[in-house]
Amino acid sequence: MDNILSVLVFFPAVAGLLGFVIDKESARAYGITVATIEFLLSLWLWFSFDMSDAGMQFVESIPLIPNIGISYYMGVDGISLFILIMTTLMTLIGMASMSVTKNIKNMIVTLLFLEMTMVGVFVALDAIIFYLFWELSLVPMLYIIGAWGGPLRVYASIKFFLYTFTGSLIMLVGMLFIAYTYYSVTGIWSFALTDWYMLVFPKSMQLWLFAAFFIGFAIKVPMFPFHTWIPYAHGQAPTIGSVILAAVLLKMGTYGFVRFSLPMFPDASVMAIAPIAVISIIMVIYTAMIAYAQKDMKQVIAYSSVSHMGIIMLGIFAMNAEGISGSVFQMLSHGIVSGALFMLVGVIYDRRHTKLLSEFGGLASVMPKYAVIFGIMLMAAVGLPLTMGFPGEFLVLLGFYKVSPIMTILAGTSIILGAVYMLRVMKKAFFGPVTNKENLKLKDLNSRETWSLIPLVAIVIWLGIYPKPVLEPIDNSVKAMLHFMDEKAITQEAKDIIKLSKSTKEAK
Amino acid sequence: MENLVYIALFAPFASSLFAALFGMSQREVFVGIVASMFIGTAFISSLLLAIHLYTTGDVINITMMDWIHAGDFNVSFGFVVDQVSVTMMTVVTLVSTVVHVYAIGYMDHDKSFNRFFSYLSAFVFSMMILVMSDNFLGLFIGWEGVGVCSWLLIGFWYHKADQTREENPSVSPSWAANEAFIVNRIADLGMLVGIFVLYWNTGTLKYDEVFAQLPYLNNGIIVTATIALFIGAMGKSAQFPFHTWLTDAMEGPTPVSALIHAATMVTAGVFLVIRANPLFHAAPEVSFFIASLGTFVAFYAASMALVERDLKRIIAYSTLSQLGYMFAAAGLGAYWIALFHLAAHAFFKALLFLGGGNVMHAMHDELDIFKMGGMKKEMRGTWIYMTLASVALAGLPPLAGFWSKDAIIETAFNEHTYFLWIMLVVTAGMTAFYSFRQVFMTFHGEDRHTPLGFHPHEMYKFVLIAMSPLAVLATITGWYMKEYEDFITELLPHYEMSEHTHHLASWLGLVVLFFAISGIVWAYLKYARIGRHAWKRDKEKEQGFFYKLLKNQYYVPKFYEEFITKPYAMVSAVFWEKVDLKIVDATVDNIAKAFYKSGDATRGMQTGNLSNYLNWMAVGGVLLLVIAAISAMFV
Repeated sequence: MDNILSVLVFFPAVAGLLGFVIDKESARAYGITVATIEFLLSLWLWFSFDMSDAGMQFVESIPLIPNIGISYYMGVDGISLFILIMTTLMTLIGMASMSVTKNIKNMIVTLLFLEMTMVGVFVALDAIIFYLFWELSLVPMLYIIGAWGGPLRVYASIKFFLYTFTGSLIMLVGMLFIAYTYYSVTGIWSFALTDWYMLVFPKSMQLWLFAAFFIGFAIKVPMFPFHTWIPYAHGQAPTIGSVILAAVLLKMGTYGFVRFSLPMFPDASVMAIAPIAVISIIMVIYTAMIAYAQKDMKQVIAYSSVSHMGIIMLGIFAMNAEGISGSVFQMLSHGIVSGALFMLVGVIYDRRHTKLLSEFGGLASVMPKYAVIFGIMLMAAVGLPLTMGFPGEFLVLLGFYKVSPIMTILAGTSIILGAVYMLRVMKKAFFGPVTNKENLKLKDLNSRETWSLIPLVAIVIWLGIYPKPVLEPIDNSVKAMLHFMDEKAITQEAKDIIKLSKSTKEAK
Repeated sequence: MENLVYIALFAPFASSLFAALFGMSQREVFVGIVASMFIGTAFISSLLLAIHLYTTGDVINITMMDWIHAGDFNVSFGFVVDQVSVTMMTVVTLVSTVVHVYAIGYMDHDKSFNRFFSYLSAFVFSMMILVMSDNFLGLFIGWEGVGVCSWLLIGFWYHKADQTREENPSVSPSWAANEAFIVNRIADLGMLVGIFVLYWNTGTLKYDEVFAQLPYLNNGIIVTATIALFIGAMGKSAQFPFHTWLTDAMEGPTPVSALIHAATMVTAGVFLVIRANPLFHAAPEVSFFIASLGTFVAFYAASMALVERDLKRIIAYSTLSQLGYMFAAAGLGAYWIALFHLAAHAFFKALLFLGGGNVMHAMHDELDIFKMGGMKKEMRGTWIYMTLASVALAGLPPLAGFWSKDAIIETAFNEHTYFLWIMLVVTAGMTAFYSFRQVFMTFHGEDRHTPLGFHPHEMYKFVLIAMSPLAVLATITGWYMKEYEDFITELLPHYEMSEHTHHLASWLGLVVLFFAISGIVWAYLKYARIGRHAWKRDKEKEQGFFYKLLKNQYYVPKFYEEFITKPYAMVSAVFWEKVDLKIVDATVDNIAKAFYKSGDATRGMQTGNLSNYLNWMAVGGVLLLVIAAISAMFV
């Protein structure tokens, strides 16, 4: 199957179109079936993936507008492969666990379209195709928040849309500038990333371009101080929207840094280490403290997401394989864990129609199964060894220690502050006596909820104990990328800071 | 032999999973029995490994599978069974087995009986990983694992509500559990930093490989690594200033306090120093600091125990104090003596705690020793056990505590750290006093409990029998000190007393004994007598400055609350309400509003009137010309 990637991208969309003619009663079953097939296809991609090859695989390239060098160009490497699998998995699980009944058909169709755009972003190797999927992904999310959200949904969805859209426009300008430079150097137009990688920019130009891409990605991540759209988006979005937003959409930003900024602007990236590290540390500490002050359970998870994204950003700019591989692994871990946590908050919201911590207390005795799964996910979120949260966070901090011990210690407070706000939630919601009478009659997880959470628990434990199948391909691609950055860097400082591993394999 | 290693390691895990299967169902006695059998199996395997190691001297190394591999970083699940780890394995599994059996009786009325065994066995599994790993990250897995189990078990009675500090100094089980977890996490960050330093300077985390590279490392790196690792050890072993969680952890069920917060988990910090002894040996400044801190904590904790009324908290302070002794020994270079005291302490302290549990069970969870007294009639077995354990703790011959503690005090003399020596001797006297104060107040003197309506009863017979191995070991361990020294010094460095110390040894021992016996006699005179000389509560003295200082734990918990917890919550709220919403987010909204308003304001231009449009066009044209002219000036 040479064009597996095209199938992966367009199958959900085509199936989504057909979804319009499906009967309303069976829309949900239809959506789950499609998402399952998509997930199996992505697993098939993993099994036929060559683990020893660090470069792009399953490459498809069809010229679309040859005059200006736009082509339909796709491929996956170790870095994007697992984010893609996580995307299909979280879409499937999110859909299966969904409790929405209003306009269910529209929701299913929207989700399938959203899946197309997300998969597209992670496999695109042509900047225009990447940009198209990047922007298109806003539309279904806008609709999900705006149509199924809470009381402030219109404000939240418009804020989300305009904010991220503004950022990406600046990124688009950067892209056009690079294409133009490529044209003026080589005489041909090209938007292919692999062509762009070959361009060596002078330092000052790298900095400008880095800044342009930075704004686009940073708003998406979201980095401090561009993060304020996220509490509204999460606060108003329905559970499924929050799950996808936290698990996948945020990863687009960090993925963008790895795919674009690092290999294209190695010198600027090295120069940006200090400012980005400072922002990341602010994200880690400041948002962890804000998470502690929240009264609403979902907002705690929302702010904790920002805090965790700080760790991921730090790892990307560690400039060694330990840090970057750890960071990519942490993207997956955060996707699964925060997705699961949002689903868990959704469970209680469905029952009580409130997310305020003060409404709860003593849930552990009323809903023991729920408490156990929440506890496991909480431990993964605070990075307990032998859960999925540990290898990533550990490697990021290990990697960044090489760059700056002091900053690593500051960022390392994440393991303390994370425990502080998460344990507060656990204590307020689950421990103590049952003070509110309404909570006494709450039903424990039903089978739909249980069976959508159990796979996530299994993954969290499996990849905590044995991360190798995932970490190894990631690591191979990361090492190759670092090797490439080191060769391409023009300044000596950059070459000094980029640390190559002894066991780097060349990209084919 | 490899199979035995796996059995010792995974039997507790199997036990935990088995009990977890019944975690949400009714109390089933067989769950406790099966779990105890699993842990017993782990104990027998550990014992066989110990015998094997003793007779053949073969150290067993096993690498089970890869764990984390990224860049040049590579860590596997590797286990080592050498003299140090086998000592820990045997002690841990032995105490665990006793505590499991004990818990069948102690927890008999608890509806979460099955869940309790699941957690308890999970703890044993984590502890085994901690002591058996052959690398620092493996140790860290166990380290965090025991932390979580401790969190689960302290907060086992999670349904209890928070109380004020005046009603209950530990607030509530769930509060105490969170405190323990968070304080440990603070220290764990130190430990992680130690791991980072070692990895970037040696390229590996395996003990042997790291220690082999020590000669090539510069002093600064070794000092940084040892400080960082020791911060980790301070958290787990509750050394000052991370000590408050340990006494609050007494909110957990008593078997937990005996196993985790006395015999095993809290000694993990001491174990770390012993395990990394080549590293600490290479940093004498840090080692001396460890010894000084240990001595200080020994004294500091003992002083608070003098006035405490809560039975379990008294024992918790004594644990803290004994951990200080262990650190003193380890810091002074007598690693094997520290390990020996660790083992001896595990036996007599577990015995003491379990005895305390019997009392608590009999008194329906009442822990105030002021409300007890004269209970030796009703609880003869428990009385004998607790007296025995207290004699061992006070350090009277021929019981275990005498040999191990005396060796530590002698080490302090031998190292010419006379100040530490004096402190340790005085503390030994205080230890004897508070241990017997507690024994006498509980079992001797006037009967104060019957008037209050308590009718204590002795614990089940099988529980008392289950405790007997600990009683035997608390008695005889010291007699085999010489044999143990020969065994352990195959791995740990020898520690020789100088000629001078050797000469004075018996005098030094007598000084310690004098202090210990005076402590006991004083306690007897004050608390054990009846009739005219019976102890009476002196409320006036309780208002004294020192009494209140000690009673309030030197106001340290209060200080933490006022200067850390509350400000943190306040700053968090300010960050959220004032900074994030009012500044960061408001700026974004204002930018958006500015665009909206400028659009709104200029909407008036769109009148639909052609001559208006022409006017504006003219304005625009002029503006463009001006811009062109200005830019021409600069080009």
